[in-house]
Amino acid sequence: MTYSIIARCPRSGRFGVGSTTFSMACGRRNESVRPNVGVSKSQAFYLRYVDPLALNMLAQGYTPASIMRTLAAEDPDFDYRQFGIIDRENNVVAHTGPGCGKWAGHTVGPYYAAYGNGLAGPQTVAGIVSGFLKQPDAPLEDRLLMALEGGRDAGGQMSKGIPRPERSAWIRVVDRVDFPEIDVRVDLHDKTVAELRRILEEFKRCRDYYNARNANPAAAIPEEEFVAGLNAKAA
Amino acid sequence: MTYSIIARCPRTGQFGIASASYSIAIGMSCDGAVRANTGVALTLGSPHPRNNYLAISLLAQGRTAGQTLTELVANDPDNEYRQIAIIDRESIAVAHTGASVRKWAGHKIGKGYVAFGDMLAGQQVVDAVAAGFDSVPDAGLDEQLLAALEAGRKAGGIVGSKGRLPERSAAMVVWGNRTYNEVDLRVDMHDHAVEDLRRIYVDYKPSIAYYEERARSPRNAIPAMEFADMLKKQQAKEAT
Repeated sequence: MTYSIIARCPRSGRFGVGSTTFSMACGRRNESVRPNVGVSKSQAFYLRYVDPLALNMLAQGYTPASIMRTLAAEDPDFDYRQFGIIDRENNVVAHTGPGCGKWAGHTVGPYYAAYGNGLAGPQTVAGIVSGFLKQPDAPLEDRLLMALEGGRDAGGQMSKGIPRPERSAWIRVVDRVDFPEIDVRVDLHDKTVAELRRILEEFKRCRDYYNARNANPAAAIPEEEFVAGLNAKAA
Repeated sequence: MTYSIIARCPRTGQFGIASASYSIAIGMSCDGAVRANTGVALTLGSPHPRNNYLAISLLAQGRTAGQTLTELVANDPDNEYRQIAIIDRESIAVAHTGASVRKWAGHKIGKGYVAFGDMLAGQQVVDAVAAGFDSVPDAGLDEQLLAALEAGRKAGGIVGSKGRLPERSAAMVVWGNRTYNEVDLRVDMHDHAVEDLRRIYVDYKPSIAYYEERARSPRNAIPAMEFADMLKKQQAKEAT
């Protein structure tokens, strides 16, 4: 029971993942995105080692389609897995095994894949895609968040006819350097997608300050003064 | 504006981090700071974002914690603003608190761990972080890390120019011998981040084994919702 979007920004080449689920702390899966290599995000009855393996294979030069064949050949329970992979040439694949339950499925676009399981129906994945495509000129992280909101607003998760809450959510965007440009999380919350928006917006307000402080600490004002200024501006 | 502990468990060889900060999303600054069978290396103060990755690759090449620290300091003209702690796979622990890190700042090196922080109420906070870690030596690395943070908060935590500052974010990370983390929990923005981290940890801990087993044998797995309901009932029973 999870829905996700993975994407490579067609303008900047940045890779990103946005994910939300009933399970706690979905953002602990930070091994799923690697700068200059790609994204591999598995879910449903996922094996944790699959994403690092897929990224190692991408780094060696294998294509996403070839990696998918390897994963299928090596895994007797491949029918229970769901994943998507994107490489740095915008090759995208996705897989939803028939054992992932109802409703589960994916949509593959030219530089993104939207997929989920334990969903209200295909409308959730359609909602993710339309959210992602709503503002094509927005920064990748904003598009990922709009995608999650689109999935939630289209009905989100459901099991046994009962809507199920999203309890954790995560957005990670990487550029060319090793460390993530953005990695924000909500690990356990009743309204987790809304909370993720609150945190992402606050993080973006602070980002320039943090980056400038770390690059030139001698010139930085104290953080509590910076935050007081932010709060004054908001009021 | 952060207090932290990094550690290596002498029994399991696990590496771990716990951190609490006035800055938001401190878990993001812990990115890349741990690798299985290699070490843990965390730079805070004014974090130098590439340091964690550089340090881990130096440790992976076979440099010791001490050599790695020397390299990081030499590589960074602003090293006097950084606070760095490193433990290698031999449990050698080293630390650097630059002279320009905001006061009170300092570190305490223990057996297989480093407690450190900046903008603290005083030395007592770092001492408490270390004592908290040592207070539950048999509880497992994750419990030790969390106990360390809670002790740091109780000992006065973070102090700015106008008095005590709240812990707005917190994080804990534990790696075993795999290519991915065992525990990685975060609170990115909250009025009581350390308490909230404990709340999440308590709910999360029992589910680790469930998710591993479910992936290994999906054909026999009980649904996540049913597992969550079972857990809730069990916790309610334990509470009464």
